[in-house]
Amino acid sequence: MMLDEINHLELIGSLMQQMCVYLVIAYLLSKTPLFAPLMQVTVRLPGRLVCYLVFSGFCVMGTYLGFQIEGAIANTRAIGAVLGGLLGGPVVGLAVGLTGGLHRYSLGGFTDAACAVSTTAEGVIGGCLHLYLLRSQRADRLLSPTLAFWTTLGAELLQMLIILLMARPFDQAARLVAHIVLPMTLTNAVGAALFMRLILDRRETLEKYSIAFSAKALRIAERSVGVLLQGFNEHNCKRMASVIQEETGVGAVAITDSEKLLGFVGIGADHHLPGTPIASPHTRHAIERNEVVYADGATLPYCCSLSKDCKLGSCLVIPLRDEANHVFGTIKLYEPKRKLFSSLNRTLGEGIARLLSNQVLAGRIEEQKRLLAQSEIKLLQAQINPHFLFNALNTLAAVIRRDPEAARQLVQYLSTFFRKSLKRVGNEATLGDEIEHVDAYLRIEQARFADRLDVQYAVPADLRRLRLPAFSLQPIIENAIKYGIAQMLEAGTIRISAQRQEGVLTIVVEDSAGLYRPTPGGEGLGMNLVDRRIKIRYGAAYGIEVSCERDCWTRVAIRLPVEEELAPC
Amino acid sequence: MLTALIIDDEAPSREELKTLLAAAADIEVLGECANAIEGLSAIRRLRPDVVFLDIQMPRVSGLEMVGMIDASALPQIVFVTAYDEHALQAFEEHAADYLLKPIDPQRLARTLDWLRSGVRRSGTAFPGSAEKLRQVPCFGRNRIFLLPLDEVEFVHTDIAGVQVVGKERQGTTELSLKILQERSSLIRCHRQFLVNLDQIAEIELLDNGAAEIVTRSGRRVPVSRRHLREMKDRLLIP
Repeated sequence: MMLDEINHLELIGSLMQQMCVYLVIAYLLSKTPLFAPLMQVTVRLPGRLVCYLVFSGFCVMGTYLGFQIEGAIANTRAIGAVLGGLLGGPVVGLAVGLTGGLHRYSLGGFTDAACAVSTTAEGVIGGCLHLYLLRSQRADRLLSPTLAFWTTLGAELLQMLIILLMARPFDQAARLVAHIVLPMTLTNAVGAALFMRLILDRRETLEKYSIAFSAKALRIAERSVGVLLQGFNEHNCKRMASVIQEETGVGAVAITDSEKLLGFVGIGADHHLPGTPIASPHTRHAIERNEVVYADGATLPYCCSLSKDCKLGSCLVIPLRDEANHVFGTIKLYEPKRKLFSSLNRTLGEGIARLLSNQVLAGRIEEQKRLLAQSEIKLLQAQINPHFLFNALNTLAAVIRRDPEAARQLVQYLSTFFRKSLKRVGNEATLGDEIEHVDAYLRIEQARFADRLDVQYAVPADLRRLRLPAFSLQPIIENAIKYGIAQMLEAGTIRISAQRQEGVLTIVVEDSAGLYRPTPGGEGLGMNLVDRRIKIRYGAAYGIEVSCERDCWTRVAIRLPVEEELAPC
Repeated sequence: MLTALIIDDEAPSREELKTLLAAAADIEVLGECANAIEGLSAIRRLRPDVVFLDIQMPRVSGLEMVGMIDASALPQIVFVTAYDEHALQAFEEHAADYLLKPIDPQRLARTLDWLRSGVRRSGTAFPGSAEKLRQVPCFGRNRIFLLPLDEVEFVHTDIAGVQVVGKERQGTTELSLKILQERSSLIRCHRQFLVNLDQIAEIELLDNGAAEIVTRSGRRVPVSRRHLREMKDRLLIP
């Protein structure tokens, strides 16, 4: 094309068209993982390498898409060079500019050297700006389309200047510049701004996506906290499955153990019944091979193994694994025939499987701890202190002689005490029951110690119906006698009080001996067990607290959350 | 005729034993005590032939109490316990016998027969390996208390008995200087004084070859010439 034939508007038009092709390619590329490193200002080598390759590619493409004007090429090469510098830094900018420049040089023409130099310079300008903004802590500005526009505009003007300075003959160069200065600076600047906008959009979309994803994952985690801690059973699995189904929006959710279906929520719940053995070959496969099975309905067909009329068309089965990596169950996500699995739900599904596995494992550990504490207490309860027994019998022997009626009463207390101690049913008792138990015990000890033991109660009648773990009070009272009152040279008092305040029931056992030692050699075994059981059951905020004023008093406070009696005993 | 003393912290227990002993015409119960500290005092005062001694008692157990009595002044000891895990140890402590509560009258009769026969199963010197005392039972003003040995500055005898002096508290004890010397780390510094080496602040040497100890709380304790050498050796003073 000769210069005379060039119409300015036409040149702008064709350059714009060229830029559109260029941007379409950029848009398509933005959908690939190649674009990921470009979306943030990167300092790491792989990111920079990708940056270099992508923008060098755009540089070369800009040159190819350009069209020849009398031995020169009107083009959009500058976009690649400037953006490469802006996003990758001076080194990347220089490299991109050099690559683009050398490529241009290899194509020849009277402006070849000038273009090569100016493209390199454009890359360096971008790079310097990158460095400047980074140093002045304004890295976020790097992705601004406005900045890209003005930088490219400046860089293009510089290019024109370089062409004027370097290209010979000068008058031809001057004519060329006069024709292309407006179209090229404008097209390149607009192109660079749009390219930057593209990157920004892509970034925002990804951010929104990941925010939505994490929000969903967090919400599932939040709503499912503790559900499976209470046991991997049908009731809890159904609750869990409905949380997951509501949050992910998949057609249906199932949770199985290694043999049968435990919970199913969603489409097809009418024939996927909890408690039935696993029928699906996919699930059995997932369990046997310990791998994720994805029956998308196309490449791997999915067909409900229970009913022909089932609307479910695809299924994702993820194994639940224990700490030894053995499969103990699966979680299954289903979509109906008309709907496709979104990749979001697949990833989320795998995350949920991990969450579930952890919960079930934590639950098992909790359960084991609870059982252990329970059986330790039971053992303690069954071991009636032989000292107590023989002392009681000895007291009885003496009292029979003196006062048969009082002795008969003592036998009554003794049998109440034994009956309550040997009672194994139920892990809970009312405070009233517990008081009755320790009262029988204390009556016998009072007979034994004669005037040396005074017992006082301050337990409001309305608190007696509150529930607490059975056998929580007796070990404390026994300690107060054994290491308190029995060690006193004078008479002593045991005071039992209870109060409720803001949902917390506090039972205080106080003896007037004040002989408690913080590190008793196994003395506090019963007390420690009671404390541990309460903490495992209700959390670390509850349990036993001991305070002692030497030779004055020892106070043992049992703190429990208030549990109202549900049904009259 | 045998004189007896009952030491047990449980009133019904004492009462029962007293009733059982009343059946034997030749046993005279001189008294009863509710704890070991009263017991020590009563043994000294009443000099019974036999002591029926409960093992589980407040602060000072029956076993500990036996260790606090001079071998020469030790009566026959019959331990009485509700649960027999202590029985073996009771015999090691040279008990004459032991009875289990509730007391079987026939078993008690055998014990009494044996006591009447006059054969002493105990009364020999207590083994030196006996445990060190941790505390000294004392009578203060209207009060019985236990003074931990590391609080004791010195012990001395006077007309009233053996005086135990601590930094804050002092009282009279039933324990003899001999027993205290044997069963604790107190050192004899004078015919009438034992001192706790850990409580010595300074030693003033006197012209006559004797010395005087100043305790941490500023009390003065005499050191006789005879015991000064030994004291110096113990304190590594040349």
